[in-house]
Amino acid sequence: MTEALVSTRTLSKAIGSKSILRDITVDVSPGSVVGIIGKNGAGKTTLMDILLGFSPATAGTAQLFGHDSFTLPAAIKDRIGFVPQRDELVNNLTGRQHLALTAALQKRWNHALIERLQAAWEVPLDRVVFKLSGGERQKLSILLALGHEPALLLLDEPVASLDPISRREFLREMIAIAGDQSRTVLFSTHIISDLERVADVIWILRNGTIVWAGPLDTLKENVVRLSIHSRQPLPRILPLPTALTQQVTAERASAVVTQWNEPEAQRLRLELNADIEVEPLSLEDIFVEFHS
Amino acid sequence: MGTAPGIRLFTLQPSSGVPIYLQLIQQVRRMVASGQLAAGAELPSVREVASEYTVNPTTISKAYSLLENEGLLQRNRGKPMTIAASRRTSGSLPQRLKQVEAQVDALVLAARQLQLTAPELCQFIDRKMGEDS
Repeated sequence: MTEALVSTRTLSKAIGSKSILRDITVDVSPGSVVGIIGKNGAGKTTLMDILLGFSPATAGTAQLFGHDSFTLPAAIKDRIGFVPQRDELVNNLTGRQHLALTAALQKRWNHALIERLQAAWEVPLDRVVFKLSGGERQKLSILLALGHEPALLLLDEPVASLDPISRREFLREMIAIAGDQSRTVLFSTHIISDLERVADVIWILRNGTIVWAGPLDTLKENVVRLSIHSRQPLPRILPLPTALTQQVTAERASAVVTQWNEPEAQRLRLELNADIEVEPLSLEDIFVEFHS
Repeated sequence: MGTAPGIRLFTLQPSSGVPIYLQLIQQVRRMVASGQLAAGAELPSVREVASEYTVNPTTISKAYSLLENEGLLQRNRGKPMTIAASRRTSGSLPQRLKQVEAQVDALVLAARQLQLTAPELCQFIDRKMGEDS
């Protein structure tokens, strides 16, 4: 088994009496692209902050590359790239000055990559940051995090201000990184259709806890909507141990379950004497169902 | 016979509830069954598909590996994967049985609950298989 690159054990965070994260235990294996989704305030940014060591956990542990997040050695920090939700750019410096400063601080810097991306993404480098649009600032922040080709890249809603064309360009770059098995990405976003393209693992955060962590393919295969039509009256509560929701009328029912498979289908067909139609759900539908 | 870049062989819909690797598997199976992809036809590389459709390469590579296990695709050293010469001879008996295991499990479960015996079921399967040949 390969060692987890990012690892938490029963991680919790409270600020005063307010609980932000509860009992989070996850592992990220090298080479994966993890998409993190959750409503506003679900704890996505707090989780990234703790992973990066910006803020200590209240209980439990967080580790990157096998080191405690809160005391990361400099050599480990060099291998990490981060795009914060709110950029940390300096208003009266130009993009070019930002790139030069960041490149100077890094041991390695891929100038050719940054030149190519800067041209493709049309980032104006000679204007002071103060005069850039929200999308341009965001693109510049991404460039600053990519230049040293980090082994671990964390992105906190990096594309919120990007237009669809720029987002697609950004996704292309993420896919190139995903093709490199030595690089790992954690990516939070509200644009779920992007994650369906680029993520291979999904974490769903709800009110500070992880309600799903696993492969995107498995999530789509296991979480489905059932339309049940029975030849006899249905029980008021269906025998569905993993149902997220269910609505039952006399002989018809609809339910969303989280552990669907063929033996389960057969069991239910016979037990309820019913026809069952199975409808696969998009990631957005699945996300909504986890919140209903 | 490779595919020219930009010409899309597959229709992949990332937002579908069907995982991308399954969409790809189903399309390759259909194209082979219909003769649209003949034995020896080259498939675009994992990298090409991932980049053309802007999807994670892992899911494409998973589809290709599963199709290879099925005996439908052939992996060629340093060259594109191709449609395998003959499906019939590919895969040992245990491998081919493995592919119907899930359906058989479901069938066995249903048969037990309907109190059908193994000979009754086998006779029925024999008859069904005879119908198609």
